[in-house]
Amino acid sequence: MKGRGIVEGTCTAEALVSAKPISFLGGVDPADGRIVEKNHDLCGTCIKGKVLVFPHGHGSTVGSYVMYSLAKKGLAPAAIINRTADPVVVVGAIIADIPMVDQIDIGKINLGDTVEVDGGKGVARILNHKER
Amino acid sequence: MTREEERIYDGEHGWANQTCMRILVRLGQLFGAERLIPIGSAHVSGVSYKTLGDAPIEFLRTLADSGGTVKVKTTLNPQSLDSHYLRGKLEESLQKPQLDILRQFEKMGLTKSLTCTPYYLQRLPRGSHHAWAESSAVVYANSVLGAWTNREGGPSALAAAIIGKTPDYGIHKAENRRPNVRVKVEAKVHNETELGALGIFLGKTLGDKIPAIIGLQKTSNDDLKQLCAAIATTGMTNMFHLDDDKTAREKERIDVNSNQIERTVDELSSGRGEPDLVFLGCPHCSLDEMKRIAGFVEGGQVRAGVEFWVCTSCHVRRAASAYVKSIEKAGGHVLDGVCTVVSWTEKLGIRTIMTNSAKTAYYAPVLNKAEAVLAPMKDCLESALQ
Repeated sequence: MKGRGIVEGTCTAEALVSAKPISFLGGVDPADGRIVEKNHDLCGTCIKGKVLVFPHGHGSTVGSYVMYSLAKKGLAPAAIINRTADPVVVVGAIIADIPMVDQIDIGKINLGDTVEVDGGKGVARILNHKER
Repeated sequence: MTREEERIYDGEHGWANQTCMRILVRLGQLFGAERLIPIGSAHVSGVSYKTLGDAPIEFLRTLADSGGTVKVKTTLNPQSLDSHYLRGKLEESLQKPQLDILRQFEKMGLTKSLTCTPYYLQRLPRGSHHAWAESSAVVYANSVLGAWTNREGGPSALAAAIIGKTPDYGIHKAENRRPNVRVKVEAKVHNETELGALGIFLGKTLGDKIPAIIGLQKTSNDDLKQLCAAIATTGMTNMFHLDDDKTAREKERIDVNSNQIERTVDELSSGRGEPDLVFLGCPHCSLDEMKRIAGFVEGGQVRAGVEFWVCTSCHVRRAASAYVKSIEKAGGHVLDGVCTVVSWTEKLGIRTIMTNSAKTAYYAPVLNKAEAVLAPMKDCLESALQ
């Protein structure tokens, strides 16, 4: 799938897919990288090392700093795929150096798919598709 | 990008400058900017340890240690405590990280203004470009002062400060500053609190549209400050127009009646009991507001069992020293550099906050775990005094 490259870098990892926006401030525990936002479809799941797929971010701009803090502790996602990038996640991905692509039809990616991301070219490729 | 900008982007001026340039360029691409433009000033939010937590400290330290210094006058939002009154009441573990955050900002050359009203510290020429975070100040700059700034987040305002530029998009472009919805205020708006309620109501209705508001009586800038703060609290609106431009052809129209204003004030007044804190100064008080408060409390005494706080910047406090004396003599506390919303009021046992600020009333239940009583300044002062 061809989208728009936001932050350079390549990786291949397992996809963690959410239909809901993510707020990094308050929504992700900076101590262990788990999603803690109540009623979130990924609540309780750890984002470390995953290709994190979600529509867009929401909430405070402090969320960008949380992403940096996660990266410093080795708890950041391996890459981020958004439908529509928003400033909080973009700034966070830049300072935390997380490869990022947007303008992708995220509905085509399933939880557990192996996904290859090229943030420079703006490409996401599903290598191993899991049935729902 | 110019050649110089490219060199910064490629890292020739170190990590801090490179990271900030990457932020600006990527945000610019995201919003369709074709270039960066120089700014006259920046204002950075995300200062209070209460709202930030530990997350940004490491990033700010790395930025400061790798040569990040601001290129333009850059002011800071309020912190979580003031250096006199609240510091003595809060435990050490809350104070140290706050001091650490401020130290990193100072290393990068930011002014320790610690205020949400940076427009009282400097004159902004009409049409000049800035990169401000703090949504209430953004709306005030654009709508009341005619200075141009997008609504930045803390990190993007800091990046703009360190580069001295901002991407040219949004309301940095004249064509994007035109109103696209007409708001007719049929209600008689009596005071600053009702102006704030109007803002809360409009913010929810408008989303990110720019309204031309007609039907408001002539209002002081101090009272308009309440409209600015409130409209940005519930909406993404960056500015409003107050002129009745007959040639404007906004297709969409919204009428606001008295019922809607009254209902909004009621909804914001979640507290029914006696306040244990009466608070004025959201956004921070101007010199004139300090004068009005001092004049009212002159010769009076704050009731036992009630805290009375007036929040402002250290800048205004210095200019208002005679008024500060009157307020303190009456038993009130003038707190500078801090704001109730981002301070630890719940740790001081405060459960009900009476205020003239619709923004504070909106946030108090969530951020302060307190109920709010929303009323004009005069009623707040009467309630605070014996």
